[in-house]
Amino acid sequence: VKSRLKVLRAEHGWSQQELAERAGVSRQTINAVETERYEPSLSLAFKLAAIFEMTIEAMFEASS
Amino acid sequence: MKEAVGKPVSHVMVLAVGVVWALIYLVCLVVVKEGSVSRGVGVALALAPILPFIAFLRVLGRSSREADELQQKVQLEAFSFAYPAMMMLLMTLGLLQLVVPLKAEDFSLRHVWAFMPLLYVMGFGLAWRRYK
Repeated sequence: VKSRLKVLRAEHGWSQQELAERAGVSRQTINAVETERYEPSLSLAFKLAAIFEMTIEAMFEASS
Repeated sequence: MKEAVGKPVSHVMVLAVGVVWALIYLVCLVVVKEGSVSRGVGVALALAPILPFIAFLRVLGRSSREADELQQKVQLEAFSFAYPAMMMLLMTLGLLQLVVPLKAEDFSLRHVWAFMPLLYVMGFGLAWRRYK
């Protein structure tokens, strides 16, 4: 799954730690999602989408 | 996932309870190995580390439940590595024992179990690298 997390986070001027605290996960998890080493659960994806006030589809994209 | 109830368990607390258990185990091991205690006391000492170990398991379990999803995945992968690796080790030692005389002092149960946490740590390291 490709994610726009890194770009969105940068647009908001948040560090990985700040975003992690907002999402209630560890900084490592945010880093792993950003680097596409880890695919977040649906619940985390919803949480991240809610933080950036967008839909999951707008935030994540299935990689071919 | 259900949110944890009560004060979150810190890694320091898990480590502290683990160290207490390990110390009790080592003291019991040394005393029982010396052989200077009666059989009854020896059995009591051999069973003594169970209670602190249960306390350790409870703290570890709580810490695991409170961990975020990636940490839980890493822990699961660590177990997925350690469990079959331990099976392989025991199986190999069992077969070797049939053909090579293994010194009971070196390959007793009290030594072999220590490979389990070691393999878990190895599995944890390997899984962690994957998501780093």
